[in-house]
Amino acid sequence: MIRKLPQWELTLVVLTLAAGAWSAYLSPYYLSLDQIAYSTRQFVFPGILAIGLAVVVILGEIDISLASTLAFGAVLFSKFSAFGAPIWIATPLVTAACAALGTLNGVLVARFGLPSLAVTLGTMGAFRGLAFILGSETGYTGFDDSYLYVGSEQAFGLVPVSFILFLVIALAVSVLMRRTVFGRRCYAIGLNKEASWAAGIDVARIKVMAYALAGALAGVAALVWIGQYGSARGDNADGAILFVVTAVVLGGLDINGGRGAILGVVLALFLLGTMRNGMGLANVAGPIQTIVLGGLLIVGVLRPILFQGAVRGYRFAFSRQAVASN
Amino acid sequence: MLTEGGEAPTDGEARTALGQFALRFRVSGVAAFLLLLGVAFTLLRPQFIAPGNLSAIISNAAILAIVAAAQAVVLITRNLDVSVGSIMGFSAYLTADFAARHPHVGPALVLMPLTIGGALGALNGVLVAYGRVSPLIATLGTMSVYRGLTYVYARGQEITASRLPAWMNALPEVRIAGVRLLVVIAIIVVCLLAAFLRFYPLGRRMYAVGSNVSASAFFGLRTQRVVLFAYILGAVLCGLAGFLYAVRVGTVTVVLASGWELTSLAAAVIGGVSVAGGSGNVIGAALGAVVLATIDNGLVLLGIPEFWRMFIQGAAIVLAATADMIIAGQVRNALRARRRIARAAP
Repeated sequence: MIRKLPQWELTLVVLTLAAGAWSAYLSPYYLSLDQIAYSTRQFVFPGILAIGLAVVVILGEIDISLASTLAFGAVLFSKFSAFGAPIWIATPLVTAACAALGTLNGVLVARFGLPSLAVTLGTMGAFRGLAFILGSETGYTGFDDSYLYVGSEQAFGLVPVSFILFLVIALAVSVLMRRTVFGRRCYAIGLNKEASWAAGIDVARIKVMAYALAGALAGVAALVWIGQYGSARGDNADGAILFVVTAVVLGGLDINGGRGAILGVVLALFLLGTMRNGMGLANVAGPIQTIVLGGLLIVGVLRPILFQGAVRGYRFAFSRQAVASN
Repeated sequence: MLTEGGEAPTDGEARTALGQFALRFRVSGVAAFLLLLGVAFTLLRPQFIAPGNLSAIISNAAILAIVAAAQAVVLITRNLDVSVGSIMGFSAYLTADFAARHPHVGPALVLMPLTIGGALGALNGVLVAYGRVSPLIATLGTMSVYRGLTYVYARGQEITASRLPAWMNALPEVRIAGVRLLVVIAIIVVCLLAAFLRFYPLGRRMYAVGSNVSASAFFGLRTQRVVLFAYILGAVLCGLAGFLYAVRVGTVTVVLASGWELTSLAAAVIGGVSVAGGSGNVIGAALGAVVLATIDNGLVLLGIPEFWRMFIQGAAIVLAATADMIIAGQVRNALRARRRIARAAP
């Protein structure tokens, strides 16, 4: 049995470089530091969602309601902005509210024992509905500049603040998953829930915490969203979940839980971001980009099987050769 | 030991009865909920009960009922198909385009969306059954691939009703004994499918695979083939539904039926088809579609903004899943009690 490929992260780096080279070949505008730094903005908000989802996936569950949680967070930010609340009050409150939505998912999944797909499918609609109910059908665009800072400004005139925020979050969650008791327990539960329970881990509590963390990160992603697009409406980030799930799967996380690292997800996001940027510059039509994204998702999940097939084929050829040389 | 053995049967009998009641309650529960909705809406807005309005609800529910039944077939095998909307769109667009170019082809054209749907479903099925890809991931991928292919094929065009042959435009108004043809087709399809799942070996195998894959494999079922077949069957029905939807709306665009994956799942889950597989039936899923259409209609009559529907639909899925879980628990207890009786009897 082949365990997780250590080379997969390396493969992602190589693919990213290849995609970059291909983009530079397609478009003369690609190869400039300004352009590349600026383009990282494109995958920051789905990236933050993907890191939250990664924690849930490592536990062996799924959360497809995160994009809806983001919409709820964005609308809540608009309420605070309209009320005139300073950003340093609004951000923790919105993050807490989104964490509460995540907790609701977690309680339904872990305490009530409902299938996570059914729960988050339901809350995906419910949270988006909630966002519309809270806001209105017309979007809010009158954000105070302090609200837009994170999503729109660039530090040192080059790197987007949102990208730095993304890297900080990725690093923090990576340390959380690798070095803390919580993180190691997440992996343990993802590999074998019953054994973890027997070993004295409060499985339900860890799961609720993971869902709450994913929800909170969706709240942070909402802050990036409003800065980037300057508007908040119930249908924000509608359909973003495809990109998010693709990043998680392509990043080498086992959808059944227990395997994979945050680093892989980050590298997969770089790859997807590079491809999207390159295709955008090369005027590749949106639908074709969607096809590529969907195709990558399928290849990403077929990867272990394809690899095993390749190894088997190689071994077969090798043994034949060995037999022939004897 | 003796006292335990003496007490168990009475307790067990009660539990068995409760379990049977719970199972029956889930199926009739949807109908009861529907009735409750109807009474509530009638009390609030009397025009709800008008024959014209009721027939509008049924017409609206007809196509969704077919898609919900298709989704149910896949759900019963403990899988999932979120590409149903894209399959509908893809087969509907290609068929409408073909019909616009070759107007002389008669109603035999119906075979085209069925074939296209079947082919797309076969790809899903191969990925899930033989590629062992998680059904959510696989169909999420094919959802965007199929929709993207529709965009690429259409090149930003749409097919208006005026380009479609006359018989297609006339189809929605065809009535059999006063009932719209669409509704008749939906009822026939759902009933045939229900009979197939209930009485045919292959139908029973789908339930078996959905309840316990490894047990079915040990029993000798070719589980992969059963799953593949479920995907193909579901997608063929989606092709049919896409065609009917195209005919009904008249203008075929590339976004046709996008978002239906969610609605169909909602209908099936509300109708008592468990996401955990192996339980529920297509009649329930079709009833779930009627429930959703009734909610839509009622909300419009009450003048409630459309986005409340999303919230209610989502909450209904969670509630239905909770109900399923409670019932599954009751059934498990009942089975355990029955086993205890069987052990205590000799």
